[in-house]
Amino acid sequence: MLSVTDVVKTFNSGDRTIKPVNGVSFTLEQGTFAAILGKSGSGKSTLLSLLGALDKASSGDVVVDEVNISKLPDRKLTAYRRDDIGFVFQQYNLIPNLSALENVMLPMEFAGVRHGERSKRAAELLNQVELTEEMHGRKANRLSGGMQQRVAIARALANNPKLILADEPTGNLDDETGELIIALLRQLAHEKKTTILVVTHDHALASQTDRKFRLARGKLTED
Amino acid sequence: MGVVSRSVGNAFRNKVRSGAVVVILAVAIGLALAMLVANQAVGAKVDSLKASVGNNLTVNPAGSRGGLGGGNPLTAADATKAAAVAHVTSVNGTLSVRLANSAATSTTTATPGAGQGADRGGPGGGFGSSGTTSLKSAVDPGVLGQRNNSNSGATGGSTGGSTTTRPAFTIPIQATGVSTSTTATGAAIKVTSGAQLTDFAANSTQALVGTTLATKNSLKVGSTFTVQSRTMTVTGIFDAGDAFDNNGIYLPLAATQTLTSQAGQLSSLNVVVDNIENVSATQAALTASLGATNVDVTAGSSGLQSAISSLGSVQSISLIAFIASLVTAGLIVLLIMIMVVRERRREIGVLKAIGAANRTIGVQFVLEAMVLVVMGTVVGAVVAAFSSNPIVSALVAGNTGSTAAAAGPVQGAGGGGGFGGGFGGGGFTRTRGAFSGASQLIGTISTSVGWQTLVLGAVGILVIAAIGALIPSLLTAKVRPIEVLRGE
Repeated sequence: MLSVTDVVKTFNSGDRTIKPVNGVSFTLEQGTFAAILGKSGSGKSTLLSLLGALDKASSGDVVVDEVNISKLPDRKLTAYRRDDIGFVFQQYNLIPNLSALENVMLPMEFAGVRHGERSKRAAELLNQVELTEEMHGRKANRLSGGMQQRVAIARALANNPKLILADEPTGNLDDETGELIIALLRQLAHEKKTTILVVTHDHALASQTDRKFRLARGKLTED
Repeated sequence: MGVVSRSVGNAFRNKVRSGAVVVILAVAIGLALAMLVANQAVGAKVDSLKASVGNNLTVNPAGSRGGLGGGNPLTAADATKAAAVAHVTSVNGTLSVRLANSAATSTTTATPGAGQGADRGGPGGGFGSSGTTSLKSAVDPGVLGQRNNSNSGATGGSTGGSTTTRPAFTIPIQATGVSTSTTATGAAIKVTSGAQLTDFAANSTQALVGTTLATKNSLKVGSTFTVQSRTMTVTGIFDAGDAFDNNGIYLPLAATQTLTSQAGQLSSLNVVVDNIENVSATQAALTASLGATNVDVTAGSSGLQSAISSLGSVQSISLIAFIASLVTAGLIVLLIMIMVVRERRREIGVLKAIGAANRTIGVQFVLEAMVLVVMGTVVGAVVAAFSSNPIVSALVAGNTGSTAAAAGPVQGAGGGGGFGGGFGGGGFTRTRGAFSGASQLIGTISTSVGWQTLVLGAVGILVIAAIGALIPSLLTAKVRPIEVLRGE
């Protein structure tokens, strides 16, 4: 379960203080597929970075399965990102000179999974996101956008995370591929009981989630 | 794919840049290795010079040098006196004589005239010879030998006023009587086959023969030849490194004195001083002790200090260049890795976002830098292999050229060899090294890679890697995972 309580993130920009996330609170049950809608610059990505321990909140608590990650030291945050979180980025953020298979194997390597096992599991995950086997060995920078996003989802699933955070996962994809990705995420949430939170400005995507939130001027409201 | 293979792959992500970096590194590392090799080679040469001639003094009869001049021979008493002088650690007396070929001597039909030319008119290089041998010289007289022989013969002919029949001239063979297995200059005799002399008694029949002389006379270890009427047995064949010395023989000192009727006489003393710093003082003390009118005492090489000083400069230059090259190579790696880290901040953020620890990422970048360093080292080693000798030569030439002219004379090893013949004007004397300077003393310096060079080189490469990789890898730790969202 994900529980966010009164989270604030403050930036200083010259003389001004900016609060892209200002007192956000919500809770998501295990296996929920949720979306946060908001315009560009509304603080969606900032909130996502706080939930994924990419950045630290100025105040407030983020609790994942009863662990308050806001108070974890850096070393444990690394373990949290590795074991409990799966990230899917708008720009995919694959390592360009590694193959699709190697990209999916990376989180498992960091988790200490043996080579044979991680190779096998990475192939299974790529098959699961419907990437054909002939593409497994292809360098990431030679895959299409849709293929790269599928590899990114497979990578996010590598260590069986409790929570998948997706930042505009269909933002750079055509409609057909976007639909495929949405279906894949929903399937993961409902069948694997993985909590999935996507931030998007795509209403079509948000309409297919279990819960919808809106973020405007740092404040979160649920539709 | 593990961190190692990922690092190797990353090193070649930008092939053009990596290739350029490797080439630049190879030049810097190659120069560093060449300088290290030069430093070691020059250091070895300095040690060698100090060991061979640095602490040595040569005592010759006053006015005599290498068969020229006059004076009275040295004696065992002189050797005893020399040994008593402060800082003298050992005294080694030798007797150098010239042996004429006995077969050629037996065909002599010379009619000696009066005066100094009388004993010069004999064939077979008889001028200055102290005895005969069955050996034939391996050195062709050539123009110089014939000229020298002609000069001496003319003197004899004109002074005597009678006709002289001159047979074919042959170079005499120099025999050196020694009491240890060392040359007249104190260097060890390099025996290439057989064994050193062991019997130094007056009736000893042991002899060492130079390589070319042995070849000329078909001698092997165990072969025999005669000196005067005694049959000598070849116990070993030595290689002195030059044609003149390899045309000689070493005999036991006492046997040489007996065979040439020079009992108790010595042609030179080799005096070893305890420390190179005491050479000048001991030189003066020896002159005082033996009498300035009786002996000439010369340093093993008066050009030595100048040579060592020159080589010291080369060592300093090569050491500084070695360090500078290492630092340069380290800076190249450092700058390129800083650039790589800056370029890949977002990628580092991705790795952190998906769970990579700082240490894992740091190791990846260290290994990536190491790949560049190793490749640079491999190519640099090839560069060093081809450039070290020319670099050493250039450094030594550049640093000895100015001092060589100021260096004093170098004494040859054959001092006193002409006692038996007296004056002759044109006696065949060894003049190698006379008036040569530091550059001649230094000679050639050959580079080689020993374990010490390898260890120092490895340490140097590690320094490069440490400078070039550790700082960038520490920088990666400062990259925050949020970097992954930059630009999104």
